[in-house]
Amino acid sequence: MDIIACIKRVPDTSESDILKINPSQKGIETDRLVFKINNWDEYVLETAVRLKEKFEGTVTAITVGPADWDEILRRTLAMGADRGIRIDQDVNADDIYTVAVILEKVIGRLSYDLVLFGAQSEDFGSGQLGAMVSEMLGIAHATLVTSLKIEEKKVHVKREMEAGSLQSYTIDLPALLTIHTGINQPRYISVGGIRRAMQKELKVLSLDDMGSPLNTLTPMVKLEKLELPPKGKQAELISGTPEQAVEKLAKILKDAGIY
Amino acid sequence: MPNILVVTEYRNQSLSEMSYQILSKGRQLADQRQMELVAVIAGKGVNAYARELTKWADKVLSVSNNKLEGLAEPYQKMVSYLIKEEKPRIVLMGHSSFAMDMIPALSVELGVPLVTDCIDIFWQNDDILVKRSIYNGKMNAIYSFAPSETVLITGRVGEFALEEGHREGRVEEIEIPLDEEYDNKIFEGYHKTAEGGIDITRAEVLISIGRGIREKKYLEMAEELAQALGGVVSCSRPIVDYGWLPPERQVGLSGKTVKPKLYLSLGISGAFQHIVGMKNAKLVVAINKDAQAPIFSVASYGIVDDVLRVVPALVNKINELKGATH
Repeated sequence: MDIIACIKRVPDTSESDILKINPSQKGIETDRLVFKINNWDEYVLETAVRLKEKFEGTVTAITVGPADWDEILRRTLAMGADRGIRIDQDVNADDIYTVAVILEKVIGRLSYDLVLFGAQSEDFGSGQLGAMVSEMLGIAHATLVTSLKIEEKKVHVKREMEAGSLQSYTIDLPALLTIHTGINQPRYISVGGIRRAMQKELKVLSLDDMGSPLNTLTPMVKLEKLELPPKGKQAELISGTPEQAVEKLAKILKDAGIY
Repeated sequence: MPNILVVTEYRNQSLSEMSYQILSKGRQLADQRQMELVAVIAGKGVNAYARELTKWADKVLSVSNNKLEGLAEPYQKMVSYLIKEEKPRIVLMGHSSFAMDMIPALSVELGVPLVTDCIDIFWQNDDILVKRSIYNGKMNAIYSFAPSETVLITGRVGEFALEEGHREGRVEEIEIPLDEEYDNKIFEGYHKTAEGGIDITRAEVLISIGRGIREKKYLEMAEELAQALGGVVSCSRPIVDYGWLPPERQVGLSGKTVKPKLYLSLGISGAFQHIVGMKNAKLVVAINKDAQAPIFSVASYGIVDDVLRVVPALVNKINELKGATH
């Protein structure tokens, strides 16, 4: 079973106090941010590596980004991917359609049974890339997949809907799935994994290598500007040491008739 | 007359709440530019709902076809057919799970631009612009579209107020050729993630935990607080993903919608998927060490601190006060 895992690097903004807009108005100041692999993509890698362990075959991790994205490709290799491919193009400001066109060009040249994407990215979270690429490749897809089982040349999947409901499908391989969090527990990277990753192939391709007129591709969507969300209503903050704060909170809860 | 097409979602004999929100927004955008609003509703036996939609839409296209059940691909073909027929300026749909399975492929099929999960959609002169929430809700981004006869937009659930419709539009029952067979993808059915266990929707007090509690062993701390306050422990998605609590305890878009007297959140940052499930609680209190966490915008009271420092002190305090009154 040959599996392609498409991954992305994102800034960790979950606990960053203040995000600053850069002078272009179209990006954020990144010098104080920590970068990491997209959360959903860790579940992608775990899914891919488990399938490989069961059915043999290969896992190829692919990303589109500049040289500092190699770090997350190395991480996927340490998790168990066999090789990494990075298309050397800074697409952050471009539209998702452009990224899809680039990925289709790369994936289209490889042989695969399954193409996996994260259901969305942590930073922009549009959740549209995987299904776009499947349409370009002309293969069946399912998004937001929370469980899967391979049987013969088919994959049985469940995909998440709203309010605790799921849909199930049987899809012929090759297929493209976008993977949701919780489908498995991604493994920790071992020292052995990191050592083995150093021996694995990490290929860098340029747009020219792919021999396509991507440089002249017009974006379908344009980012006009970023802005900080309006403050809106904010909670009344209870200050002080934990002991002081809980004293006040206990009173608030008492007054509200909670206990 | 130029028009806007709203794609509604009809499933299990009812129309999704999101559909009404998007219809309301579509009506507003159409009125602002003297455009017609066209709505499509598809499925088995949709006629009663089709008539209801005429309150918002000038024209409701009612499509009855058994192939449209559960599978995104024929739905995509249907919308694609309607776009070619109606040539709408804008196609609007709720950013639902079903839309996420269908709309991106449609965008590629037709070669038209798409922006998903928008929190605002507005005219600037005769151009349509959209706003999205990015970087964990800490930034907004405004997008424009490349010149295109049609653009596709999905709108975030809960962002567009439901407004009563006062139109008296007309219903057109139409047939759409959907001859293609989809042998490579078979729809098997609907399921529930979890049934049984504790029903958090009935609890008056919810102590809800998120990633910020860090380790499974601290679940006990939340249980102690729940016990002290006579409540139940619920959670945000990561806790279920980690397998620390069963799916029926999850609050949010993919879990349960709750309305307790007290919703005390511990280490939950407040992604919108979570907030739509708890924002109608009577009293929301949030404890989180990230002062910028979006949860503080729906909470009445907040403590910016590590939950592991605050919660044990709170348990002691409540127990002490309860002891004193008994």
